[in-house]
Amino acid sequence: MTDVKPTMTDSDVMDFIAQGYVLLEGIIGEDFNSQCDALPKGNANAFISSDVFKKELLLHPKLAGVARSLLGENFRVPDGGHHHVYEAPHYGQTWHSDGLSGSGYDVTTLQCYYYPKAVEIEDGPTMILPGSHCRAVDREAIAHYGDVLGQVSLTVPAGTVALTRYGIWHKAGPKTNDQKRSMIKFSYYRASSPIRDWQIDSKEIPEYKNRARLPYVTEVESYRDRVRRERTWNWLCGVNT
Amino acid sequence: MKEAVERWIDAQKKKLRKEPVTSEDLDALMNCLQEPRQHVLYLYSKSTNMRSPIASWSHCDPTKPQEPTLPSQELPYASVLEAMADGWRVVQFPISKLYRYEEVDNDYLGFEFVLEKWI
Repeated sequence: MTDVKPTMTDSDVMDFIAQGYVLLEGIIGEDFNSQCDALPKGNANAFISSDVFKKELLLHPKLAGVARSLLGENFRVPDGGHHHVYEAPHYGQTWHSDGLSGSGYDVTTLQCYYYPKAVEIEDGPTMILPGSHCRAVDREAIAHYGDVLGQVSLTVPAGTVALTRYGIWHKAGPKTNDQKRSMIKFSYYRASSPIRDWQIDSKEIPEYKNRARLPYVTEVESYRDRVRRERTWNWLCGVNT
Repeated sequence: MKEAVERWIDAQKKKLRKEPVTSEDLDALMNCLQEPRQHVLYLYSKSTNMRSPIASWSHCDPTKPQEPTLPSQELPYASVLEAMADGWRVVQFPISKLYRYEEVDNDYLGFEFVLEKWI
């Protein structure tokens, strides 16, 4: 992946560290989006590993540029994933992070959500909780959580891709209509040691500039967030922490 | 329940002077005869202090149809104390010892108060 150019600046990377996601709205064109119409739900390994998916989506300069910025040179391109489809109304999922993700301060995996069709609030959009990506959580122990101040419903135009630090709290939101809602999920992986090789103006590594406190965060947690963010920044810059 | 039925009877007495009782009026009477049911409100406060602002919330209402509802960013109450002023009773306070305080790791959002109201 040496020919992929990083697209993020220091400031962009600092934003990602605080929020845990990057949203690229409407970057994929209708021609390709419509090719996903016939994709069955469930395992989508064959489609995601196809040449056309790789060319039109996985190596799209804006999408791959974020992956290159946050995962370094020679990042591993997805070769499989899952097609999530909802049609009937439902209560939505409970908040969770996938697998056993969430702990630590590194950035080794970017889990992506691609929406071939526009998503409205009634369609049950994916919901994410910005800044939750380093909070390892037992999903069954928080299944009674409801609305959270600062949660984001990904109501997006067709062709949007969200890249998240694996571990971000998310869920399928409540769905009140019977329109088909489609999301293709896949992940990019780090394959090299971290180094500050995104778009930079000088070789001198700046200190992390802290971002605003998130709406749901308590006083002490805001101090912890600052420490967590600094650790991730230093890790991404290849500085021993 | 008794007060609700008395209010219904008073209203119907006035109404009967002008028009007959309808099936909707009888449905309203049936609602008056319902035993009160427990509502549960989870409030995640930003500290164990009941005056602290709220970070997260969830309202379990057994009287409404069990169907999906859209997410909201509108706080039901600004604080636990405000919910109490509206008639909610606290049935569980957050137990500080349950909230780990080790280095910078964390797996919770706020301090969980559980409240109930019988309606």
